[in-house]
Amino acid sequence: MNAVRNFVFARRGRAGKWHWTDIVTWIWLIGGTIIMFGPALWLISSSFKGPAQLAEFPPTLLPYVQEVAKVEGYDAPLPLYQVTQEDGSTRVMAEIRRIGTSAQMVDPANPEERVSVRLTDRQPVREVGLAINNYTDPFLAFDFMRYLGNSVFVTVMATLLTLLTNSMAAFALSKYRFKGRDAVMLLIVATLMVPLSVILVPLYSVVSSVGLLNSLWGVILPTIATPTGVFLLRQYMLTIPDELIEAARMDHASEWQIYWRIILPLAAPALAVLAIFSVVWRWNDFLWPLIVLSRRELYTLQIGLNTYAGELNVQWHYILAMTVVTMIPVVLVFIFLQRFITTGIAGAGIK
Amino acid sequence: MGRIVLKNIRKAFDAVEVIHGVDLEIKEGELVVFVGPSGCGKSTLLRLIAGLDTPTSGSIEIDGRDVTKAGAADRGLAMVFQSYALYPHMTVRQNLSFGLENQRMPKAEIAARVDEAARMLEIDELLGRRPTQLSGGQRQRVAIGRAIVRNPTAFLLDEPLSNLDAELRGTMRAELSALHARLSTTMIYVTHDQVEAMTLADRIVVLRKGVIEQVDTPLNLYNKPQNLFVAGFIGAPNMNFFKVEVKSGKAELPGGAQIAVVHEGPVTLGLRPQHLRLAQPEERAIAAEVFLIESLGAETVLHANVEGAGQIITVLDGQLDIARGAPIRLAFDDANLHAFDAAGQRIG
Repeated sequence: MNAVRNFVFARRGRAGKWHWTDIVTWIWLIGGTIIMFGPALWLISSSFKGPAQLAEFPPTLLPYVQEVAKVEGYDAPLPLYQVTQEDGSTRVMAEIRRIGTSAQMVDPANPEERVSVRLTDRQPVREVGLAINNYTDPFLAFDFMRYLGNSVFVTVMATLLTLLTNSMAAFALSKYRFKGRDAVMLLIVATLMVPLSVILVPLYSVVSSVGLLNSLWGVILPTIATPTGVFLLRQYMLTIPDELIEAARMDHASEWQIYWRIILPLAAPALAVLAIFSVVWRWNDFLWPLIVLSRRELYTLQIGLNTYAGELNVQWHYILAMTVVTMIPVVLVFIFLQRFITTGIAGAGIK
Repeated sequence: MGRIVLKNIRKAFDAVEVIHGVDLEIKEGELVVFVGPSGCGKSTLLRLIAGLDTPTSGSIEIDGRDVTKAGAADRGLAMVFQSYALYPHMTVRQNLSFGLENQRMPKAEIAARVDEAARMLEIDELLGRRPTQLSGGQRQRVAIGRAIVRNPTAFLLDEPLSNLDAELRGTMRAELSALHARLSTTMIYVTHDQVEAMTLADRIVVLRKGVIEQVDTPLNLYNKPQNLFVAGFIGAPNMNFFKVEVKSGKAELPGGAQIAVVHEGPVTLGLRPQHLRLAQPEERAIAAEVFLIESLGAETVLHANVEGAGQIITVLDGQLDIARGAPIRLAFDDANLHAFDAAGQRIG
């Protein structure tokens, strides 16, 4: 522990003094942390706020909930307010109903006497708390589980197919010599420059004419061939020594076996990176699923979330909460696969 | 089993021809070493035999069967690569059995063969490890083991010892030699190290620039090099050469020594450093001036300048008390003299 503290608080300045680089470092690091984590933390904090609190200005840092009290003679618990009276003293009262710019309020200790209070003379009594129903309501009312299932299906299938097809293409482009190999590679990489919005219409007519509209496969299939993936895997496979492949060829391995038993295991670090990318891409995909899927029961989460944003009314509290939920799988995938990014298992064993 | 015949093999990469018509017959059970300077085409020739590359023209026969068009796996050969090329993600056992599994051999037989090879190479302790956890020498053994389990008609070894340190190289050389004696399988061994070539080979193939310069037993190569290149390449330190003019069967060496040569015109004479000795006062000799002395204990290497004929290197037995700059006279026997004509071919 001591070593960690010494490391973290080590300064360039001697004898407890601050060197100017120490100050810059701290500002830089703290600023960077806020920029990186600020939005995510803000999202999580906001997702626990009720609709009224979200609309407030200035916004509060932490989520609050209004305190309520059970008052004799009323079925539902009533919200509590701090009321400033005409003589300047304050007391806590419960609101029965609002009428225009004033509210009918009652003292919980004395439920018989009703008082009319102007809205400007009262402050809600709040404590830090979580609006859990932002999370629970969508699970109950909204078809969350079905959307989640669709999203998982699309992400898993698309990622598996992406890894398979891209690695096969990369294998051919890195380990076989044939005429036009570099031209093919160039062509594949060149498609990086074509954004989805440009090919949206032709892609739509292709998917439509093969009858994949309103099918999850219509979302999956057009996305599996990615130039980024082919390029990434090819660059990695170039580092796998050809002698390994020749050794396998001498060992009676078929070309398929070489791919499956030698190249794929050795390209695992690059495959993991591509898997992370693919999961993030497919999970967060919005535009293409929105176009292909028009039946509600086929919606993926991202499209499902969109239904909270109506023409007249956006239910921010639900959108924020569900955004947090949809982030969880991506974060988990990253946590589990990130070690592959840093460790390379190939390259060893040679020399 | 294991007779390999190469007939007029040529290989070109794009427009550049690197093997210019090689004819070679390797007998069954023979250990043949391909030796030559880097870029001479020895590894290319091995890859052609292995089936990893196909020759531009010519044919390759193994045991009388034309395999020129056959794939690498169908030739029944096993290869040990310079980098060993062990599969890094597999254990030693998996490395050894990979080739057998691909041939759909029964599991029990695979296990038996792997165990036998492991015992033979003393790597049974390592079967559960991965190549990264092995030392250089151990990897080398595993690479050889992977070749042995296949029970091949011939072994192809591409500079197998070049990644080992000097001491280990000596041990592995002896082991390879013993292994060949025990298996009596044909082996083709590629190296640029002439000590390996001389100690291991039944016959040595000396290559230069894609052409075979000479094929012979190690001692014949040493004693009767067919041309200047072989004479200069085999033997360390290199042979001393003197350019002389032969007139009516006589040539004069620098220093005035007269010798008889059965040739006329310009001739290159060669003398191995080991065949020179310090001359007696009256003896016919080459005069030189020492400029570098390498005392190795058992022998002394003298580098000397011969006036008008460049440098001469001598290896003398024992330890000598000679100072730099001292004049010496070096004598030799005519029997040890090699003569080459203007085209570099051996005379006599």
